[in-house]
Amino acid sequence: MKMPLTFMLNNQQTTLEVDARQTLLEVLRNQGGMTSVHRSCEEGECGACTVLLNEEPVNACLVLAASVQGATVMTSEGLVKNGKPHPLMKAFTDELGIQCGFCTPGMLMNAYALINRAGDNLLTDQVIRKTLEGNLCRCTGYVNIIKSVHTAQKAKLAGEWW
Amino acid sequence: MKKREERLILGKGQYADDLEFFNMAHLVFVGSPHAHARIVSINIEKALALPGVMRVITGKEVAAHTRPLPVQANFTSKGWTWRLADVYAIPADKVRWHGEPVAAVVAEDEETARKAADLVEVAYEVLPLAGDLRTALAPEAPKVYDDWEDNKQVHLVFDFGDPDKAFAMADQVLQVFNREDRVTGVPIEPRGCVGMYDTKNDTLEMWGSFQTPFLSRHNIAATLGMPEAKVKINAVDIGGAFGLKIHAWKENVVALASKLTGRPVKWMEPHRDFMATGPHQRDVFWDGKIAFKNDGTLLGLKATVYHDLGVESTNKGIAALSIFPACSSPTNMYKWVGMHVEGIGTVTNKSFYCAYRGYGKDKGIKFIEAAINQVAKKLNTTPEAIRMKNFIQPDEFPYHQINNYVLDSGDYPALLNKAIEMADLEGFRKRKKELAGQGRYLGIGLVTAIEPAGVAVPNCQMGGITEARVLITPDGSVEVHSDRTEIGQGAEISHATIVADILGMDMAHIHVKRVTSDFIGQGPLSSRGAVYPASAVAKAAKLLRKKVVQCAGSLMKIPADQVVLEKGYIYPTDAPEKKISYAQFADKMFFFPGPRGLDPEILKAHDHLLDVTTTWYSPTTPESGSSYTSFCVSADIAVVKVDIDTGVTQIVKYVHVHDAGTIINAQVVDGQIQGGIVQGIGEALYEGLNYDENGQLMNTSFSNYLIPTAVEAPDIEIAHLETPSPFSETGSKGMGEAPIIGAKAVILDAIEDALSDFGIRVNDAPATPEKVRKWIRQATKKNR
Repeated sequence: MKMPLTFMLNNQQTTLEVDARQTLLEVLRNQGGMTSVHRSCEEGECGACTVLLNEEPVNACLVLAASVQGATVMTSEGLVKNGKPHPLMKAFTDELGIQCGFCTPGMLMNAYALINRAGDNLLTDQVIRKTLEGNLCRCTGYVNIIKSVHTAQKAKLAGEWW
Repeated sequence: MKKREERLILGKGQYADDLEFFNMAHLVFVGSPHAHARIVSINIEKALALPGVMRVITGKEVAAHTRPLPVQANFTSKGWTWRLADVYAIPADKVRWHGEPVAAVVAEDEETARKAADLVEVAYEVLPLAGDLRTALAPEAPKVYDDWEDNKQVHLVFDFGDPDKAFAMADQVLQVFNREDRVTGVPIEPRGCVGMYDTKNDTLEMWGSFQTPFLSRHNIAATLGMPEAKVKINAVDIGGAFGLKIHAWKENVVALASKLTGRPVKWMEPHRDFMATGPHQRDVFWDGKIAFKNDGTLLGLKATVYHDLGVESTNKGIAALSIFPACSSPTNMYKWVGMHVEGIGTVTNKSFYCAYRGYGKDKGIKFIEAAINQVAKKLNTTPEAIRMKNFIQPDEFPYHQINNYVLDSGDYPALLNKAIEMADLEGFRKRKKELAGQGRYLGIGLVTAIEPAGVAVPNCQMGGITEARVLITPDGSVEVHSDRTEIGQGAEISHATIVADILGMDMAHIHVKRVTSDFIGQGPLSSRGAVYPASAVAKAAKLLRKKVVQCAGSLMKIPADQVVLEKGYIYPTDAPEKKISYAQFADKMFFFPGPRGLDPEILKAHDHLLDVTTTWYSPTTPESGSSYTSFCVSADIAVVKVDIDTGVTQIVKYVHVHDAGTIINAQVVDGQIQGGIVQGIGEALYEGLNYDENGQLMNTSFSNYLIPTAVEAPDIEIAHLETPSPFSETGSKGMGEAPIIGAKAVILDAIEDALSDFGIRVNDAPATPEKVRKWIRQATKKNR
């Protein structure tokens, strides 16, 4: 059954024609054109499709698209401002927290929510590791990802953030 | 300057799943629910009746329209057992493993194709299983390939040096067993591609997660019976590969589907299928005897390594060949008198064996490292002392090893000493003693490893051939072409760094092109990136530099040796103010040299075209007969705590000292090390593919095939030595595999040390909590 779905996608009021059975992952990729939301396990295990739903990280593959009616959804495309990489993105590039790049967009969204939640509290390795537990990366061994999150938080505390 | 990373981070990656073409159809495979069964009949009518379904391709159709998958490695001539099978991408007669495709559905969209796949009705006659090594090797075992004498695909026998002499010289001989479970590499992105057959020109073009486009073109063209010149394969952004995206076979069906329907056809492998019908590795059992003297001198080895290959491994994958390096790698970094090693590869009803980081080189090293640590215990000495005694010394390079490896360079004692110092080995040993009897189990592991890198093996598709092209375009920027696909390992940064340095150019103007089958080579595999393609690119850049210098000298009317190339500018040594940019230079060279601007001799000699295509081949392997050119080395020390109640292992400290020769980009090298170590830890502690008694793979998802998350991954301390390789063009050695080898071995060694009170041999990876508890229970019972 087709239905119109209206929600905020990356700060833009968006209406898409969706099928009631479609997942948020399918809708974001296929109708929404947000190809940074990557499809891998499709069962909520890998975290490659992590997006923010009302500012909370979720696995888009486990969310029925119809349920986001009126909600706010943010993908990593939404972090980019005027074509410029977000300071979090810059940190991942600078620290090489990215290798193949497939887990990266999901990792970014989870890290973005974490840094925002942390406020002025400096994140510890332990907290970062625990928070990113649901985002699998097979390339980096996570070392440079942890470093990237620290660097990004420093940027936020220095006022470079949006 | 990280062009690729900056693009990917903005969400501008174009992975296989992101490919969209006008009028594109979608393909989904139908997998067998049985591990071994005859296909009695296939009814496709219901599937075809579903609106939107265009075609259902069965094994019979594949046999009618394509040829068998080409043989990728053939050693039948050597007098060894080396059996080959005629196999198609989809079988028509019987299925040989759980998940093997029996049909492919092509439909207007993926969802319809998935639904139709469920409507394909297959009648099977279930056959008895050869589900594991023991069953497969038993007399009267069910045969995986009906026309073979038995299930043995490969039996190789090697004598290196003088094994009998080694054993005659020995004071002692120790028997060592080692087992590694079946694992898979699990890149987060599965495989996928789009095939587009052009019916007007009878050409085929494909885009997708191809790790080795040139080899894939050969294999796809061969099965479709097309001239290779009419097939082009393009690698797009690849979400991790680790060897698992080297060989194409399902991709052949995608190509056929496009040819049969006249539509672009896309296939994205569901991740569960990737695990159940994708490449597997390891699954070996070692039974060996190591000979040594009472003073700790290592002498020799007599061993057999049994491989559970799964289905045949010379057509879908190429990993029957990995038995070679498994047999030769036990020499590692020590001096030996002789070794006799036999490698047996048995086919079973499991998914096929293919490349995964380590390939086989890992197996011999992990085994010998475990064996040497047993010897150290037997002689009541330390693992470092026995290594120091047997290391090849810094003044002995290049060292011709008994197995014909020509070890290029290194300082093995310095490597290990550095690791010992960083790990505070003595401090932790003291701590272990203090904790003894308190119910706290601290263990220290120590291993050292070589990484044979840059493969070239005759009689197979990994022959070592490679091509690179570096050219300057009229706007003064540079294009770099090679076979080195970017799979996240830093190929683009490395190539750009090399070329920028040689041409005196800013990296912003260096464009490393996506890899296509237009360039000859076998791609990044067996750590050949920093050896073959990097050497070929460096060589091409040096030849291009020569042309630039000669032509710039001619334009500036100065001798060539007075031309300076620096930071994107070209100027005479004594007149930097007369500098011209590469853009100005290229403009003159291509279009406006001015009247008689260039020396006529240059034009006559055809030296004016700023475009160099060249090749590179190992200076050592043709003479030595060895497959590898460079030997990166590493020393790993790990400290673990084992909770004997839960069986859980916690990594307290991890130190890795590494020598990959000249480092091109330190961040890339460290990234490879960190990633490799964590994969090795996964294999040591968690990863194992388990088939049940019906041949069903029990773990096909991340929920039951556990890879390390950020929580399990430890902090990793890394240090480097840089002993340049005399054999590569840049002094760099191939790298990226030593970490996975060392990590797996060192964690198991550390656990064994932690459990030393129980006298447990930790020789059956992975050391899962369940297994650790079982070992402790068994040991406690025995000691009572």
